[in-house]
Amino acid sequence: MKFTALLILTAILVLFLGPYFSYPYLMGIIVVLSYLMSSSGASSFFAAGLGMGLVWLGKAIFISIDTSSSLPDKMADLMGMEQSNLLWIATGVLGVLLGGFSGLTGALLRNLSKPKRSQGMYRY
Amino acid sequence: MKYISFALALIITISLGVALSLQFGSIPPLGKLLDPNHGFWQNSYSEDQLVKEEIRLTGLTSPVTIQYDENLIPHIFAQNEIDLYRAQGYVTAQNRLWQMEFQTMAAAGRISEIVGPIAIDLDRMTRRKGMPFAAEQGIQFLENNDPETFKLVQAYSEGVNQYIDGLTVARMPIEYKILNYKPERWSPYKSLLLLKYMADMLVGDRDLEYTNLRTILGPELLEKLFPLFPEENDPVIEAEKLWDFTPLEVSKPEGINYPNDSIFVKTMPQPEPGVGSNNWAVSGSKTASGRTILANDPHLSLNLPSLWYAMQLTTPNHSVKGATLPGALGIISGFNENIAWGVTNATRDTRDWYAITFKNDDRTEYLYNDQWIQSTFRIEEIKVKGEASYLDTVVYTHHGPVVYDQSFRAERQDVNFALKWTAHLPSNEQKTFILLNKGKSHDDYIAALEYYTSPAQNFVFASKSGDIAMKVQGRFPLKWEDQGRFLMDGNDPRMEWKDFIPNEHHAATLNPARGFVASANQHSVDPSYPYYVFDNSFEHYRNRRLNQRLSEMNQITVGDMMELQFDNFHLHAYEALPIMMNYIKADSLINAGAENVAYLKDLADWNFFTFPNQTAPTLFHLWWRYLHRSIWEDLRKSDLPVVLPNNYQTVKLLTNEPTSFLFDKKTTAQIESAKDHVLASFDSMIVQVKKLKEEKGDYTWVNHKNTTIQHLVPNFKSFSFEGIYTGGGAGILNATSERHGASWRMVVELGDEPEAFGIYPGGQSGNPGSKYYDSFLKKWANGEYVNFKLQKIQDSQSTLFSTTLKP
Repeated sequence: MKFTALLILTAILVLFLGPYFSYPYLMGIIVVLSYLMSSSGASSFFAAGLGMGLVWLGKAIFISIDTSSSLPDKMADLMGMEQSNLLWIATGVLGVLLGGFSGLTGALLRNLSKPKRSQGMYRY
Repeated sequence: MKYISFALALIITISLGVALSLQFGSIPPLGKLLDPNHGFWQNSYSEDQLVKEEIRLTGLTSPVTIQYDENLIPHIFAQNEIDLYRAQGYVTAQNRLWQMEFQTMAAAGRISEIVGPIAIDLDRMTRRKGMPFAAEQGIQFLENNDPETFKLVQAYSEGVNQYIDGLTVARMPIEYKILNYKPERWSPYKSLLLLKYMADMLVGDRDLEYTNLRTILGPELLEKLFPLFPEENDPVIEAEKLWDFTPLEVSKPEGINYPNDSIFVKTMPQPEPGVGSNNWAVSGSKTASGRTILANDPHLSLNLPSLWYAMQLTTPNHSVKGATLPGALGIISGFNENIAWGVTNATRDTRDWYAITFKNDDRTEYLYNDQWIQSTFRIEEIKVKGEASYLDTVVYTHHGPVVYDQSFRAERQDVNFALKWTAHLPSNEQKTFILLNKGKSHDDYIAALEYYTSPAQNFVFASKSGDIAMKVQGRFPLKWEDQGRFLMDGNDPRMEWKDFIPNEHHAATLNPARGFVASANQHSVDPSYPYYVFDNSFEHYRNRRLNQRLSEMNQITVGDMMELQFDNFHLHAYEALPIMMNYIKADSLINAGAENVAYLKDLADWNFFTFPNQTAPTLFHLWWRYLHRSIWEDLRKSDLPVVLPNNYQTVKLLTNEPTSFLFDKKTTAQIESAKDHVLASFDSMIVQVKKLKEEKGDYTWVNHKNTTIQHLVPNFKSFSFEGIYTGGGAGILNATSERHGASWRMVVELGDEPEAFGIYPGGQSGNPGSKYYDSFLKKWANGEYVNFKLQKIQDSQSTLFSTTLKP
């Protein structure tokens, strides 16, 4: 449940705040979001990563379709890639990494402030 | 453990964020670049997808309307000139910001700031030539002597800056994103730098090479191979012109001694030979409509974003349309309701070199008129991306900056050559264009040209009232014969420029009897012109073809003029090939069915046109290249920098003196004649053609010529276009060679409402992601045009979108 919530919240945040803030700010916001969601490290990594990655991928695809521009092809060529589709993937993967590690950092930060679990005690 | 995990995650997250926003070597900051909200994806939008109907522009006195037509050509309607130029600055920056800044960075010698140490030498050269110095002089002159123009230049600059101030990262031109830097604020100084950039692009000199040639060949042979006037001189101003002024007196001083040393400096790159520009105007007596027609096609480096940006600029008092230079005010080549004008380069030696003798190594004093004179120093700080700044000390004498010295391009310690150049002199070229834009008559045109200094241009003119005219305008030193042709002694005051040819003595013509005026970078005048006129790079073919065609033509239409701009006839081949074929007895070889007969047949059947699908132009081009190289091999292999005799003189030598001693190679035992060179070069041609066939599949002209429109950053190959399917070549009216050609074509018929057509190789947008980046390219390659009719504010049928700039 927390996984889905973090994924959706991250996606909404990246989608609506993305045009106004550069990605380092988004990363900071994701850290806070993940901290507040208090999910496990792995879950936060994948939820925030997918949230940001999917939005970046979607936005790149949307712009390509909306504009029919030859720029992605030109950029792919400039970057030594054979297909511009790889740029979509690169953009998505970058989103996953940036979002994922931000999510993980937030979750692990929260983990620091959690009280230690009781270790139990045996009495003889 | 959890602390370690957190610390690790935090370090990775921060490192990732930071690393992806930094540039590593030539790899751009990938995070910034791929961010779909701010990175390159945002540059995929074309301008019509980013329309703003209203924009606030402070400093305007009234609203300004901008209507973009279907080709993204802005038509600016302002209530006064100051608003007009403010809006021009804003709109130009919207579409061409990166280019205008990059070009001024190049002109200021600041490319190392963008691309790193690779450009240090280039920047040193630019600064040593005195480009920033010249622009500084210019801005000071403008501020003090013409505050009215300065105010307009300032308004333009503020317009650019308001665009920069409101620019978001998403809308930043893509080149900034890839090269990872940001635009600076614009200033009037930068507009002037741009005009100096044009001067640098168009002006060359061969003084140092000629100095070596004089030593190698001797004065007589030099005169024979490099005559002041060619045998078939067909000058800009008609040869019959009678000069109606009393010339200023100038005579060669007695006992002049040129410095006689061989010069080993690595001389500067020069403008490409064989390219230039064409312009002409025909009077109503030769046109079908009875109205004057003017045509202009400046040939420059074929670059993207395009050098030119089309615009219409309208106030209640005038409406002008044509090609602007992004960064400069007004229209540079265009027309208004009353007149049309265009420019070609009026090549003339306006750059001279002086050998300077310094008192000692600190170079604080130099010898002039046998006295020690104080020099000045200008420390040029060249900022270098990723490295410490490079400091270059340039010594200034009263002649000009010392360009070549022990630290720059010279091998010997005692080499100190100072450059004297008209572009260093205070001038006001901007005013010329501002006045031409609103000119109404021949008198206005002449008055506007008074302010024009450099680079010298042949200004063609036509008016609605039926006048046609041509004036060779620039600031020309009053020289005695051979002054400035060779390196001069900086100590000898007699070698200095003493005065300038008065403006009213510049070669000019109005309504000549032949019914047309035309220029194609050839000699400006006939030998009867009473002043010394010299340059190494005058054209010998395009001018003759152009004048011949214009003489023959009658009942001329706009369509005829378009065809003439796209004329692919190779006059050089027409004159040279029959001689070459004759030397190898091509007819008998063809009849005998000799080896390689197909090549000979191809050449024998050639109509001397250079259409892209033909193969004969490739054969001739290669054959001639090897022939020219072979004939001048001894000179070419000289250790000293020299210039080779041009194609025209070489053809003359081949035709008239086939057994001249000049054909004999000193390196061989036998005595060669013209025939030996022709045969040897034919063999070399065959080898090269076979190689071409293997590499490219065929040897059609288009494949061999490989016309390329290159992005200003040559490494950005995917932003460039190679192998453009178009004909022409260097020395041909359609002068489209590999990297140079018609950077703008315009034909205007002046009447009650001018009919005008224009095109350039590229598009209105500077953004490689926009559909308007290359939207003119195909039409340009096919010799087609777009309609450049003047629009009125109420003509909104063809409007793509409109924007209102509000105060």
